[in-house]
Amino acid sequence: MAPIIKVENLNKIYESTFRGQDVHALKDLNLEIQQGEIFGYLGPNGSGKTTTVKMLLGLIFPTSGTIEIMGSKAIDSSAIKRHIGYLPEGAYYPDFLRGEEILHYYGRLYGLKGKDLKRRIDQTLEMVGMKHARKRMLRGYSKGMRQRIGLAQALISDPDILILDEPTTGLDPIARKEIRDILLQLRSEGKTLLISSHELLEVEMISNRVGILFEGVLQTIGAVDDLLTQRDMLIEVDGATEPILQDMTQSGFKVEDHIGTRLKLRLESPSAMSEVLDLCKSKSLQILSVTPRRESLEELFVRVVGAAEAARR
Amino acid sequence: MSALSKNIQRTIIIAFIIGTLAIGAVLNLHLRHLRQSEAFYRWILAFAVNERLFQEDRAVDADFDLFYQCAEVVDTLPEMTGLIPPKDESNTAPISALSVIASDYTHDKELWNFARSKEAAPLREEFLSLVRERKLRFAQDIQYAEAQAGGVNLFNFFFGFRKVAANFVWLEVDRYWHQGNTYRMITLMRTCVALDPQFIDAYLIGAWHLAYNATARMPDTPWPLREWHAKYEKCLGEKERFYYVAVDFLKDGIRKNSRNSKLYFDLGFSIYKQKLKDYPNAVKYLAEAVHFPHEQYVPRQLFLCLELNGQYEESLVGWKDYAARYPDNPVVQEVAPRFIARNEGFILEKLASNLRKKAREAGDQEEAERLNNEASDLWEQARAVWSSINDPFGEGRKMRMEALDMREEGRHLEAVAYLDKARWEASDLFDDFSNLIIEIKQEAGIPLTISEKKAVIRESEAGICAGMPEDEIEKRSQAAQELDAAN
Amino acid sequence: MNRIFSFFSGPASIAMYTYREGIRKKVLIGFLVLSLLVIFGSSFISSFLDPTTETDINLKLIKDICVTAIAIFGALITIYISASVVPGEVENKVIYTILSKPVRRIQYLMGKFLGAQLIIIVNLLLMGMLFFMALYLRQGVMPTLLLWSLLLTYFQFVIISAFTFALSCAASSPLVPTVGGLFLYITGNLTEYLKDVEHRAGQTGQMLDKIIGDIASGLYAILPNLQNFSLSTQIVTGQPNDPPADVLIPNLILYGMVYGLAGFACAYLVFWRKEV
Repeated sequence: MAPIIKVENLNKIYESTFRGQDVHALKDLNLEIQQGEIFGYLGPNGSGKTTTVKMLLGLIFPTSGTIEIMGSKAIDSSAIKRHIGYLPEGAYYPDFLRGEEILHYYGRLYGLKGKDLKRRIDQTLEMVGMKHARKRMLRGYSKGMRQRIGLAQALISDPDILILDEPTTGLDPIARKEIRDILLQLRSEGKTLLISSHELLEVEMISNRVGILFEGVLQTIGAVDDLLTQRDMLIEVDGATEPILQDMTQSGFKVEDHIGTRLKLRLESPSAMSEVLDLCKSKSLQILSVTPRRESLEELFVRVVGAAEAARR
Repeated sequence: MSALSKNIQRTIIIAFIIGTLAIGAVLNLHLRHLRQSEAFYRWILAFAVNERLFQEDRAVDADFDLFYQCAEVVDTLPEMTGLIPPKDESNTAPISALSVIASDYTHDKELWNFARSKEAAPLREEFLSLVRERKLRFAQDIQYAEAQAGGVNLFNFFFGFRKVAANFVWLEVDRYWHQGNTYRMITLMRTCVALDPQFIDAYLIGAWHLAYNATARMPDTPWPLREWHAKYEKCLGEKERFYYVAVDFLKDGIRKNSRNSKLYFDLGFSIYKQKLKDYPNAVKYLAEAVHFPHEQYVPRQLFLCLELNGQYEESLVGWKDYAARYPDNPVVQEVAPRFIARNEGFILEKLASNLRKKAREAGDQEEAERLNNEASDLWEQARAVWSSINDPFGEGRKMRMEALDMREEGRHLEAVAYLDKARWEASDLFDDFSNLIIEIKQEAGIPLTISEKKAVIRESEAGICAGMPEDEIEKRSQAAQELDAAN
Repeated sequence: MNRIFSFFSGPASIAMYTYREGIRKKVLIGFLVLSLLVIFGSSFISSFLDPTTETDINLKLIKDICVTAIAIFGALITIYISASVVPGEVENKVIYTILSKPVRRIQYLMGKFLGAQLIIIVNLLLMGMLFFMALYLRQGVMPTLLLWSLLLTYFQFVIISAFTFALSCAASSPLVPTVGGLFLYITGNLTEYLKDVEHRAGQTGQMLDKIIGDIASGLYAILPNLQNFSLSTQIVTGQPNDPPADVLIPNLILYGMVYGLAGFACAYLVFWRKEV
């Protein structure tokens, strides 16, 4: 199936006005996002994420390369933009407007009117859980409520593609969960989501695929499960005396933690499991728990960015 | 978007901008043409009013030459010549057709069209060129930088807020007036109208200050202290000069605002009638005032001045027409019948006097008798009119008629005595009776009193002052000698 | 017809939003209140004059001060609003939520510009209404010439607004376009001096002076001359049915519209490919 968003050899150079250096924000970026997936677009500050997003939306223009959305290169056209919803980071909405008035305004910009618009406002408010506050002015909204309204304005036209920049930043855990549930529901409806966020735990929880950008270069891209391949195990045992502890350390086992006779061993390969089991049996150690662990997205991120930084030096 | 389509779009936008700026430039030039034409139009109005009304100010200068070139062009344009009314044979003043057209404000549109027409283009160019060289007297204060080119125009630093500046200068004028600082007040008044030539009230109140308030505490200047003013052809002292400065100030206002009746009214009524007792000029300017939208009282003053100027027939016609137009006006109801009667009385007296004079000159006895009888009838009708008025003025006029009857019969001393008593009873006619006494005395060879002699010298052309030209001195000396001989 | 309607529906919504947001700005309300105070206070300035003189000077004072107050405060309001409608949205990122929608840049600009014009018109009408009432209470007649004066003043503001708006499209904050707008207002009123330069340069006969004179002449022709609109102050106290005014007024309205369009086109040229 053709990707819904396709970026080929995209370059963006910010030229300096005076004698300063030009900034090469994106370097030959190649990216494909499939329909119906949640794609996590990650990178440290200044890596080029926002640049990419702005180019997808036509807010800035590529130096070279192509962007295709829904098979069309005319990404600036109304026909394409009708299918895109965007939630920018930290956007301001005027205090004096009510929730439904904001949606009415943005709905009109999408070309919605009359009963269609009213219906969509009702549906969107229902979806983001803001029906109860529709008549309240924004100055009476909490941060979470404002974020929901922001999401609502991105959803008002029932777009096929949603681009979200830091959708859960600054929200409490309950609000975050609610937003995550909304995003998962949208995916289940067949929508494509591109999420740019520093909240790696959340991205890991909901994304199908992620891409990590560093200094304008896409360092790694793939399915979350495929990328986070490193697995280790954590075994907690009881009854390990000091000599046994020394024995284990000398044998090359990684002792993660040690309190009294309880210790936690990290096994980097599954094959070491049988050795440990034999040792426990021989030393009469009690096995309390066995927990398989994979690398977190944060760990992957740090690893990839670290490697890229080292390579740059 | 491909590079080509980007370039095409950019080119279209730039072309659009250039196109609109080009249209803007065309409009700029058109507006400049309109504003130049407006300056030219206002100059034409200013000169036209000067030519028509202020003949004493006429000089053959650049304004004159240019105006007459305009008049020549106007004479060749059918759309303009069609506006000229039939010539008034009684008016022999040399006034151009252009001035005559400009005298009627209903033709302003045609004048404006002429000012901006192709035919007037060379004249406009010359006008602007002369203005830049500051050679046109009547274009100095036209408030357009175009017309005032030739130097940094400080007025434009006000960004068009000259009127407000004029208002605040006026507050200073008011302050100086209350302080009694007359000369500073006058300087600021001129500044006011320079900033805002449409500041009508500055002209009106300024002239009032000059003619009334500045001179309120001044005595009449003794004759030996007066100086000859060639412009006004009069001997004037400081006090008298103020009156004429007020006249000039109002005339300046009229040139710049030739369609405002208040200026004409104030010049005619406040200055010429009330202060200078110059009824011919009072009539002249009040007659102008009624040609423009005016207050209801303006025609009444005109009719009054016509009466004072001896134009009783015109005054009578005016009063009757006025009464017919405003029958419900209480002032009209109270005043008009009295003045209609007065003028009828004056006309009857005048007709009777003329008939008596004709009778005296008639060779034929029968003719003389017939004329005298007719004169007597009219005389009695006049007496009846004065009786019908039933007020001190009417009574005074009857007394006057009595005195004239006595004079007619040769009873000069009686007439003089009668008038001497009567003038204290009819104070409105004091001056008239005093003059009649002098007239009768001179006629009968009765010696004049010292005050009567002085009055005659004041009124006659026998007064001489410093700076008077030789021919004028000669004329007045001769008149003085004749007066001495008569007495 | 439907296409035309749908093209303008976006700008209409943006205009209404801009109006609703802009009319609440404290700076604007401050200017408006000051101007209303001046208009109201003009009635008291005449108390400095001699109360025994029965003249129309009081009325003239009121008219002149009010017309000037409307011109000054109206210009300040125009410059402030025109300078801030676009940079304000760039600063608070609302522009991202709008340009990411199916709204073309020209529709966006049209909406912002129209919204700014609505604010200017409403403020002008408010000031004019108070002025109108002050005159009606004093004069007892409808001062219809005032309407023409207000109309001309508005079209003067259209020119200032359009070019300030164009500057604001290039700027990232309202400060530079505000200063630029003030500069435009002042230089627009001093364009007449270019005529003086042209005339003086032509007199020396030297080549360089002649070039300077030609440049001055060209600039005079192209640049908008706000002094043309001084008619708006003249007609309030002038004679009615003045033939030049009858011809100048429609020309000035067209003049304002043409330069307003030129300024808007400059704004589009700047904003069309601007990276936000």
